[in-house]
Amino acid sequence: MATQQNPVQYAKAIQYQLQSIVTPVPVYATFNRNFAIEPKFVTWMLRNVHQEVFTGQNQNNKSIDRPVFQISIFTQNIEDGFTISNQILQSLHGFSGLFGGATNGFWIAKADVQWLYNSYDNEDKLAQVFLDCTLDIPT
Amino acid sequence: MPLPSKVLPGFTASLFMQPGATPTALSNAALATVATVSALCITSNAVLVEAVPAFGQDDAVASFTVAGSRQSDKIPTQSAPTSMTITAAWNPSDTVIQQIRTDAYSGLTDRTFIVQATDGTGTVYYAFNARVSQFQIDAQPGAEAKAVFSIHPRSGQYGWSNSA
Repeated sequence: MATQQNPVQYAKAIQYQLQSIVTPVPVYATFNRNFAIEPKFVTWMLRNVHQEVFTGQNQNNKSIDRPVFQISIFTQNIEDGFTISNQILQSLHGFSGLFGGATNGFWIAKADVQWLYNSYDNEDKLAQVFLDCTLDIPT
Repeated sequence: MPLPSKVLPGFTASLFMQPGATPTALSNAALATVATVSALCITSNAVLVEAVPAFGQDDAVASFTVAGSRQSDKIPTQSAPTSMTITAAWNPSDTVIQQIRTDAYSGLTDRTFIVQATDGTGTVYYAFNARVSQFQIDAQPGAEAKAVFSIHPRSGQYGWSNSA
């Protein structure tokens, strides 16, 4: 018996958790026009919210959820981006416990961060670092 | 409502079991009686398994070779119902899973299990009496923890029925 998890709750928890890690660097749910004025900022995107379904007519016969959120770090200075990515790695990778704060958070069994790659956007003049974080959420 | 008259996806199969700590397993006649079997297929009796494994009968033959004869012979015998290795997502509070754990601990509890498959209109039931063994928790990381157990049907104690 597994209840269907609510992505709204995921979004609130991710925003809170990332903000608490990288503060005072701003965190946004999507890429917005702040990039024009902020020397460094972080955005995130949630994907692959999926509880595997099992056999039979019972809708609650599902597995745990293992959603992934991508963390994108944008900085004018390349080293700043690597430094922020290290902050996130040190704080999140292997983390087990309350994720997302007391109000909107929930308990996760494990956070698994994969440092994907870094890049540079010549148009925006912003260095970028991308990470994926998988959450194992008991349901 | 007759038998399902469609090719069914594997997702249609559900597993149910008799409730209670000391059940009275159904008789052979009852195992093939739709009214008795379908009455047990209610939500609180559902065993929430990940997939229903192969069910039915084992292969069983006696092979004979007589020295000097030209050809050996394979004589089919009455084959036993198939043992099923079940995997369920492990919720430690699930009363059905807890009962299965208790059955495995006992090793002597005969209980009626039912595989139900439906196309939404017709339903087919395969009911059998069985004991549980090999109750294990597989808690490898990266997926849901699983309760894995084997159901060994008692010889000859099974029946097919359908909504009619």
